[in-house]
Amino acid sequence: MAVTILDAVRRANRPGPPEHSVTLRVACAGAVVAGIAACRAEGELSWTVAGATTVLVVAGMGLSYATRRRPLPWVKPILAGAALVAFVWFFRQLTGHTVYDVSTVEDPLAVLFVWVQVAHAFDVPARRDLAFSLAGSASLMAVAAAQAIDIGFGVYVLCWLAFGIVGLLAMWSSASEGGRVGAAGLVATSVAVLVTATAVLVVLPAPHVAGKIDYPANAGPGAPLPVPGGLAGDGRVTQLAQPGSPAGPSRVGGYLGFANHLDTALRGALGDTVVMRVRAERPSYWVGETFDDWDGADWTVAPSPDASQQLTSGSPFVIPGGAGASGADSDLQTFYVVQSSPNLVFHADTAREVWFPARDLYASAGDAIVSPIALGPGAIYTVQSVVDTPSPTQLRGTAGPADDPAGVRGRYLELPHAYARAEALALSVTARSPDTYDKVQDLIAWIGAHTRYSTDIPPLAPGQDTVDEFLFGNRTGFCEQISTALAVMLRSIGIPVREAVGYVPGPYDPITDLYDIQARDAHAWVQVWFPGYGWQSFDPTAVVPLANPSPGSTIAHEAAHILGSLPWVPIGAVLGVVLVAAVVRRRRARRPRTWAERAARSIETAGRRAGRPRADGETLSEYAAALDAAAGDRSGTWRTMAAVVEASAYGGHDPAPEEARRLLASLRAMRGTVPRRRRRAQAPIGAAGELTPVGRPAPRRSSPPPRAGDGSPSAGAAG
Amino acid sequence: MTGRAGARPRRSGRVRPVRPVVPLVSCVAVLLGWGLVAHNSGAGWVQAVGDVVAGVLAVGLVAPAVVVRRATLAVLGVPADGTAGLPLEVPVKAGTRLRVRPLDPPGPEAFVGPHHVPAGTAGGEPGGTEYLTLLPARRGVYPAITLEIATAAPFGLLWWRRAVVVELSRQLYVRPRLGRPVALPVGRHDTAGDGDLRAPVQVGEPRGMRPYRPGDLRRWVHWPGTAHSGELMVRDMEGPTAEPVTVEVRLPAEPEAAERAAERALGTVVALVDRGTPVVLATTEPDGPNVGAVGDRRTAGRRLARAVAEPEPTPWR
Repeated sequence: MAVTILDAVRRANRPGPPEHSVTLRVACAGAVVAGIAACRAEGELSWTVAGATTVLVVAGMGLSYATRRRPLPWVKPILAGAALVAFVWFFRQLTGHTVYDVSTVEDPLAVLFVWVQVAHAFDVPARRDLAFSLAGSASLMAVAAAQAIDIGFGVYVLCWLAFGIVGLLAMWSSASEGGRVGAAGLVATSVAVLVTATAVLVVLPAPHVAGKIDYPANAGPGAPLPVPGGLAGDGRVTQLAQPGSPAGPSRVGGYLGFANHLDTALRGALGDTVVMRVRAERPSYWVGETFDDWDGADWTVAPSPDASQQLTSGSPFVIPGGAGASGADSDLQTFYVVQSSPNLVFHADTAREVWFPARDLYASAGDAIVSPIALGPGAIYTVQSVVDTPSPTQLRGTAGPADDPAGVRGRYLELPHAYARAEALALSVTARSPDTYDKVQDLIAWIGAHTRYSTDIPPLAPGQDTVDEFLFGNRTGFCEQISTALAVMLRSIGIPVREAVGYVPGPYDPITDLYDIQARDAHAWVQVWFPGYGWQSFDPTAVVPLANPSPGSTIAHEAAHILGSLPWVPIGAVLGVVLVAAVVRRRRARRPRTWAERAARSIETAGRRAGRPRADGETLSEYAAALDAAAGDRSGTWRTMAAVVEASAYGGHDPAPEEARRLLASLRAMRGTVPRRRRRAQAPIGAAGELTPVGRPAPRRSSPPPRAGDGSPSAGAAG
Repeated sequence: MTGRAGARPRRSGRVRPVRPVVPLVSCVAVLLGWGLVAHNSGAGWVQAVGDVVAGVLAVGLVAPAVVVRRATLAVLGVPADGTAGLPLEVPVKAGTRLRVRPLDPPGPEAFVGPHHVPAGTAGGEPGGTEYLTLLPARRGVYPAITLEIATAAPFGLLWWRRAVVVELSRQLYVRPRLGRPVALPVGRHDTAGDGDLRAPVQVGEPRGMRPYRPGDLRRWVHWPGTAHSGELMVRDMEGPTAEPVTVEVRLPAEPEAAERAAERALGTVVALVDRGTPVVLATTEPDGPNVGAVGDRRTAGRRLARAVAEPEPTPWR
């Protein structure tokens, strides 16, 4: 039995016949290079490593091809040694370092795979070896895809798939000694692949990060901030998203609310640029921070002894308050920062644990989680939140004012002055609602019915109150005015409420399984205190219609947004290539294939220009005779030319190339010799309504023409 | 399976994979590795690309079974006669690229079907008629031929094969090899027993021409006929009437021994026919004993191709 297994292994490892297909080798090399490029695009390889390995893979494939019949015997030991060195390097990368997150493993893994591919490329004489190269390129793509978070990765996928498919087809062609898959077969294969892939996609569950490895967290280019735990506006902290404008160089625009105060009169120009991407189990309002102190124009966080608590446990950080939260479900969110962002850790309520690449984190009493480092492009952190959404019935049954932990009522009911009109309005709207939940819903409904949404509002005059202007003035505003108005009304009738700012879920990309959060997704809403259930979020802006709604504009806006988000450059490039190929192919199909065809077309062109197109079924000789007749050429020049053409086409008597060129030139020169045909002039209509030739009067008829058989003598009849 | 020239399909075997372990294990390993990365990373791109890879691998593993099931192979005519141990060319035409291996009669495998011929290489026209080589090991009569067709289209990941039986429009007679003849009977006038050593004699009326055989005299050459046909022709004269020689062939049951006996029988008959001796051949065929005159190699070959061993007598009960 052992001998049999050994024989089987030996048989399996016996070198196969040399592979002569250049197409297969190029495709395999292309697939590997595409994998290297994908890893480089995701930052897993440096430019030096990517460039060097690309060159080595191509060189290795070339050497393997050149020595395919007689592989160099000394290559295998060297390659085995190189692969061993790569593995040793890989394990050294891991030992002595804490496996902090998945990316800690993936980067050295990508380097290891690349070096193994390089070593393998120098010893691929047979088809089987090239197949292993193709399979190896798949591992590179998998590692790169694990880090990909935007749709642009699709370019590398398409390149790799193209090389892979061509390689597989070339493998079949080589194995079958020239077999080819026809156009119908290609279409059927493509359809089968797409259907199978779609079926697998539907059947398999959505990707889920395993819990055995640390959740993704990466500091990116973050740098420590001079004021740990501080936000913009705190002295020397300079890291903050800056307000932009359409004319600005970045056109990004940042939300000014992610700071230590929220100026409800300012919004900035928030563009469509993606600021971060989120992978989450469900869409949520991702809270950045909350404000409790309203002064009539700005929201701030009231100073308090427990304003900020430093968490020094290291990743994962347990958030105070969140650890005690009870909920049946949890929501795991991973945030991939794309643009420079405020040092806030966004999260869905209620955050319980945070995987963050820093030694410490700051948690404020207002449920804000502040990072000690700046968050720039490439930063990644993961938050696990407890999902605890009580039903309206549960909220309606909450306890009364006696349940007031930590001075909630005292802190979240303060107003800068008495809002008499707002209070009266709120009381009138909520007169019939007995509990807090219904009062909140009534006020939201009133706001939705009596206000309009617009970001284009006039600036406030000095000393003017935002809420008074919004409720009793223009009744137009954006999320900050709307939510602030609701907050003030609720506070005026004794309901604790705070202002929350963060992001709403942006468009969901099913391929990357990420929500693309754009700058304009920054949002403000309110959180209402319910005893026993804590802070519950309400978004009054959601029910406020646009200031100038119109179905057409909405549709056009959505369509423009969709069209604008399409990758037009690659689509345009592909369409351009397809169009050019179609035009070239059509022209080639129309191009005369033989000299005789060109000459015949030249004769037809001459006749067509002279108004005498060639009729269907008319032979070239007959047509040429007609042209001679039209040209008055008794010598029969056109007929002579046609005879030469027909002798070539049907008799195989081709003239010499020089003679053929002369003949074609003569035909072109003779095109103008056939005169254009004139149209026949129309005769005028006669007075009797009959068509008469010009110059002849219409015949008169004094009696009807005789009928045969009636017995009357006819004119001219013999007696 | 379709056929032309009357080669009709009769039945076909099941579609089976060829050495599926390595391709299957490799594909499963790739998908498992991919799934591991997807599970650990939770990345949507990994799943999206992995689905396409799974689709490609699935199609590559399963599509050849469909292709071989629907493959068309036409046998365009079959030679009427062949010789055991000598190759026989059979024109075939396939609708798709197939690897064909004759099973019965056996033969080397070959690729038939549309293919790409690289520029500058010698070879048949792509898409034209191709030939399959049969190498019958033994004599016999073949009303049909069994072929094994296989393909791995479109990706060459896994070969699938199927056995098909193609009925022939006419039976293929494979005669035995020309063996060493047994001791031939002495001729009537050969009282000295040296008939074999004498030169052939031609007497009587001329009855035509025949191709030259070794031993013919130079003066028998018919030059006009030779110039006309391009082959050396000799006058064929009526020979002296001789008594027919009956060659009785009793084949043993053991196939190899029967083959050797048939070869010797053919050699003997051919030697007699070449000597001008009328031959009566007595053989046992599946339908029963067959005794009849044979005048040429072809007829003798066919009779011996049909010959079988005598059945064992049924014991009395």
